[in-house]
Amino acid sequence: MEAEIVLASSPTDAGISCWDLHSGAEHLRHRTCSATPHGLVSVANNFLASSQLRDSKNAAGSIFYWSWNKPQVEVKSFPSEVINPLVANSEGTYIIGGGVSGHLFLWEVATGKLLKKWHAHYRAVTCLVFGDDQSLLISGAEDGCVRIWSLISIFDDMRREKSKHLYEYSFSDHSLKVTDIVTGYGGCNAIIVSASEDRTCKVWSISKGKCIRNIVFPSVIDAVAMDPGEHVFYAGARNGKIYIAALNAQCPPTKNYALHIIGSLSERSKAITCLASSMDGIHLVSGSEDGMIRVWDTTKRNIIRIFRHAKGPINNILILRQPPHLNPSSTSGQSSSAKKHGYPLPPPLGKYTDSSDENTEIKAFIGSRTPNYVQDASYRSSWTMMNQIKELRQQGSSAASELEMERLKFDSSRSMQMIQQWKKKYENLYQYCVGELLEREQVENVQKRQK
Amino acid sequence: MVKKSQSKKPQKRGVDFKKIKKKIGRKVLPPKNSTNTEVKSKEIILPEQSIAADKSGYAVSKKGLTLKELLQHTSHHNVKSRRDALNGIRDIFIKHPAELKLHKLAVIEKLRERISDDDKLVREALYQLLKSEVFTGSNEENQELVVSLMMSYIFSAMTHLTFDIRLMAFKFLDLLLQHYPSSFTVYIEKILQNYGSLLRKNQFSLQDRSKLKSVLAGLVHCLSLLGCNKGDVSMRKNDCSQATLHPFEPDDQEDQICHTGVIRNLLDVLHVLLSCLHDLIQNTPRLDAQSFDCMQFILQSVDAVVKYFTHGFNETKRGLLSLFPPSKIPDVNVDDHMISLLKLKNLWDVFPLNPIHNHSTKDGDRYFILNAITTEVFLQLSDMISFPPALFERFLEFIEVSFSEKISHGRKSSLGIQEKHFISIIKFIPRLIVQIPDNWKARILLAFTTVLRNFSAESSTTLACLSAVQEMLSPEHCWLELIADNPEILEFHLDWIRELPSMLVRLGDKHSSSSEAALRLQLKLGQCASLNSLLSSEYDNMQKPLRDFYCTLDEESVHYGPFISLPGEIQELSVCCLYYFSSLDHPLLQSLVSCCLSNELDPNVIFRILEVLQSAHKAGHIHTAHYLSFLVTLVSHFKTSPDEIFSTTSDDMKSSREIFNSVTLFVCLQMSQMGDKNLISKMLERVIIDQIMLLPHVDTICAFLRVLVTLDSRLTRFSVESIDDLTNVLAHYLIYISSSVPGEDVETAHQKTINYYFLPCLILFIKNRELLKLVLNKMGSFIDEYNSPSSSLRCGSLPLTHASLRLRAVVSTFLHMNKDSKVHGGLLSCQTELETIQQKMLTAKSSEATNMSIEERHKIQNECDRMKAFMVLLFQPYKDFKEANFIYISDIRNLVQVPTELHKRNPTDRSHRSQAEDERKCYLHKSQRGNKKMKENAIYINHKGGISIGRLCANSRGNTEDASVNQPK
Repeated sequence: MEAEIVLASSPTDAGISCWDLHSGAEHLRHRTCSATPHGLVSVANNFLASSQLRDSKNAAGSIFYWSWNKPQVEVKSFPSEVINPLVANSEGTYIIGGGVSGHLFLWEVATGKLLKKWHAHYRAVTCLVFGDDQSLLISGAEDGCVRIWSLISIFDDMRREKSKHLYEYSFSDHSLKVTDIVTGYGGCNAIIVSASEDRTCKVWSISKGKCIRNIVFPSVIDAVAMDPGEHVFYAGARNGKIYIAALNAQCPPTKNYALHIIGSLSERSKAITCLASSMDGIHLVSGSEDGMIRVWDTTKRNIIRIFRHAKGPINNILILRQPPHLNPSSTSGQSSSAKKHGYPLPPPLGKYTDSSDENTEIKAFIGSRTPNYVQDASYRSSWTMMNQIKELRQQGSSAASELEMERLKFDSSRSMQMIQQWKKKYENLYQYCVGELLEREQVENVQKRQK
Repeated sequence: MVKKSQSKKPQKRGVDFKKIKKKIGRKVLPPKNSTNTEVKSKEIILPEQSIAADKSGYAVSKKGLTLKELLQHTSHHNVKSRRDALNGIRDIFIKHPAELKLHKLAVIEKLRERISDDDKLVREALYQLLKSEVFTGSNEENQELVVSLMMSYIFSAMTHLTFDIRLMAFKFLDLLLQHYPSSFTVYIEKILQNYGSLLRKNQFSLQDRSKLKSVLAGLVHCLSLLGCNKGDVSMRKNDCSQATLHPFEPDDQEDQICHTGVIRNLLDVLHVLLSCLHDLIQNTPRLDAQSFDCMQFILQSVDAVVKYFTHGFNETKRGLLSLFPPSKIPDVNVDDHMISLLKLKNLWDVFPLNPIHNHSTKDGDRYFILNAITTEVFLQLSDMISFPPALFERFLEFIEVSFSEKISHGRKSSLGIQEKHFISIIKFIPRLIVQIPDNWKARILLAFTTVLRNFSAESSTTLACLSAVQEMLSPEHCWLELIADNPEILEFHLDWIRELPSMLVRLGDKHSSSSEAALRLQLKLGQCASLNSLLSSEYDNMQKPLRDFYCTLDEESVHYGPFISLPGEIQELSVCCLYYFSSLDHPLLQSLVSCCLSNELDPNVIFRILEVLQSAHKAGHIHTAHYLSFLVTLVSHFKTSPDEIFSTTSDDMKSSREIFNSVTLFVCLQMSQMGDKNLISKMLERVIIDQIMLLPHVDTICAFLRVLVTLDSRLTRFSVESIDDLTNVLAHYLIYISSSVPGEDVETAHQKTINYYFLPCLILFIKNRELLKLVLNKMGSFIDEYNSPSSSLRCGSLPLTHASLRLRAVVSTFLHMNKDSKVHGGLLSCQTELETIQQKMLTAKSSEATNMSIEERHKIQNECDRMKAFMVLLFQPYKDFKEANFIYISDIRNLVQVPTELHKRNPTDRSHRSQAEDERKCYLHKSQRGNKKMKENAIYINHKGGISIGRLCANSRGNTEDASVNQPK
């Protein structure tokens, strides 16, 4: 099994802790980090980035970078407003942050350039998530709105002018702040689960663009995590329980639990603030208000390990594959330079979009890995498929008849050829016969004459 | 019946001697070549007579005819018997519904021939039969078959020469479509053609209005089945609570109607209708009921057709733009040619229809309806087609006038139909506002605002108005643009926002759907409030009038608003709105608190309010002081059941206590999470002490003690004065609790309750031993006092007038306290205090001995003994321990088999004293709930060594006499 690490941060200035999920060994603790909720992100496993809490509202926000092998902050950038959630795509080419005023900021990591800033929500953005194919961005905000953005059409000015809004969908069914969002697999056909302070979790279908399930919990849900198989999702509640809600199966309400809720993981703890599911789907990591990080075995529903981060509450938990530069002892000797320097960190993020120099020069940058862009950027959601199926079905008969026609045409042409051939032969034969007859007559005449 | 043939066989003779007799003149022999015409048969079968047949077991009509016979009779040449047959069939179906199911298709196959029957009454009878029995009976499988069986005959009847039959055919069609609406799409083209040709020929004379009316009614129904109404159905299906997540979705086979032929037909019908309308208007000087109905139906049909076109037009426009377009786009290609056809010029020419002569209210209403429908059609079309401004203005004028008229006489005549049309016009207002010039914007909005203000609560106009307002205010549409353009319009918007709270109050608790709409609007506004400073300040200003919605307080009385009696979901919605106020003010919080304190409010909503306020506080929307005072008020005024705290009987009362328990838990959690505890405890110290100094209900005291414990269990930052007050309260509280424990068996039933009430005090004692001493002193002073200490405790207290009861309460308090191992340690350090108490008890016994009954004296003696026992229990082992702790410890080890690790520990260790103490506690603890064997052991040890051990055992059995026996001198 690949080694996985658990990262945790808190709003108090307690740094970022890092443990091995399976062995429980603690790694390097990064210092001076008071992260915002959903504001800790590992950029393509190359380095860590986190947006920072600021006390006064007027101050500009700040985003810090850490490399894996150094505890202190290496790069500081100061965007124009306080950034709450932060997310990066899996190749680490972009970082997107959501501001308190409801703006979204999209930076290019390699250059630090602010590529785009747009007004996404009426109130502060609270969570940001990428769809699994990295083309869709899902954002939730304090105004209870969940919006889905396509990275392609964000830069499509033509279409934006036509349609008045940038988002693909805007779901405003939640009546209070959206606290967490997770996505399933399947690109545009995925489901997303959003949790809100209105005590509900809602399951949305991206392709259909509507709410397909609404689950009411007994307490406010602050964190959700999905089982990798999408059988269930886990909802961490403010009453300290982690509820398990069914996604696939029908689950009637029981005496203890409401509709769709199967059970709960609970230990006497304070409010659950964040959840993360490991890649094997067995381990679930929860962080709570009391500063403890609990690792659960979801099959047995018990705790298998407890980490202690700090006194204050925990607000971010990440589960990652172990990055190559993290553990110096494992990489022995052969790549000492990499061990020392790790990944060279990119420049700080820009504050404003520069529209002026866009045309003047185009700089080339070489990132650590060349990202593989998906060449075909068209969406194939369920309705297109359905239409195609329908088309195929309808075309089925006509295509078949066309085939039949072709075949018949071919047959007829062949028989025409045959006829031609036969005709020719007949002609030949006829001429031959006539010739023969004539010849014979001539011969006879000649013979008669000769007689 | 069989009759035998009468022919006889001639006798056979010998062939050789044939004798031929001939009598001359008698009979002429038939000629040789004649043909024998005689018929001979072995038997003759005559058919059964129908009247005489045995019909038992068959379903028969009143006249005793079976279904088969009746069906045969339907094609009888006699009119009367045909009619009778139809009536008979009806009889059968009424009596034997099963018969219909079995033979439905056969019956329909036969009956359909009567559609074009010559006789009017027969057709009428058939219509009734089909309507009441055949179609209603079943709507299951093979609908298509039924429809196709009927349709061919209906269509042929539609082209019949006789006018009446044609008319009747349309009635049949209407009937069929009512029962099988899905079949409309299949036959749409033909149906429309037939309607068109019927109406075009203009065969209706003026007297035939009723016939025309029935035809038009059918047409309206047909056209209402056009595609655009499907949106509503899918909306209703969107109930996502129960559905499976990834269900298999079968293809919807009902295709959209999308042939150009159909569109052509629709346009044809449209124009026929318009010319028809024109004729009607010209030929009717006065608007009587019949012609009004006809005109209304015509206009409604026009409306339906136009709706179909505009719907398709909008859908296609939308489908082109979105990334994930809807799966089904009705491809109504509205080209320019069609638009020109849709201009409906002659309809606009007649608008507005005005009464020419006398103007009665009834006429006025009728004209209003006609004009309203026309306006609707116009507004629909104005999306697609740009009309000349003069025409537009005519309509705008009508809208303005009708709005203001609505207000003037809307109160007295709230006609249902009129209301409906009014609403449909209101729906267009948001779109209209964007289109029209500025001077009209203000006029229309003014009219609209007056409607909004002067609605009556029960009318559905409110809902329509609210949704229109929502659409106009939602920032996605035009909020920002309009503000920039026109300050006048902004004024209207603000007006609406200001109207909301009073609207909520006026709606009351009866019209939950309207209230819900208003609250949704409020929520929406709140969510986008921070977009715009003006809007956010407007939203914050809403708080003051909103108080009326929740609850208003004046001196002494509380007036609850509609909030408290609304359904739960709507309550939740309104609570959610609170989150978005940028700063919740104190008066609103006050009225919220009094809502929470009301008994009628569902506890779930209380917790919801608490949760939302918590989030609001976290987000900085509530001032901390206000929030704290909210929490404290909630705790101090929460009403639990007034009766005994140890009553186990009433369940609902108990539950109110449970609710209070969890409310307190929530409050404590809140206080602990709020940040700097020092600061908060400093803020709350005096408030809480003052509250409990009033000696409210024990539950409240307990709750406040719990809050104190969470804030500052050591009480380090408390002033001397507060500690003094606290001591007083604690002493009262503890004595009250232990005195109100009913019965003798303290150990069993009520232990849990006692623990619950004691726990916060005990924690305080553990953390702060000084407090314990002070409280003990206080208790000691109670013993002297004559007046009952607990009389001031509010809840129906036991009068502790008797000294014995007071003593008893004090002693049992000690016993309860001693059960906690940590407090036990604290008690040990208060030896002097306890001894003074004991002394006081003894003096009380001696001093009051003169004026007491023997019984009373006995009781006091008992209490003194208990106290003595307690003292010995408490200190004796400690004395032993001081003298010879090694022995003692080893004894205990032998006795209870304390954890093995203790064996290994070296008792001479420098920390051995504290360890030993621990060990003893462990022992005490175990022996209290020890089993029999342990007790025996204890007695065994008793002979050998420590006295205390024997006593303990005795006490654990609750047998004091035993203890005194064992007590060594």
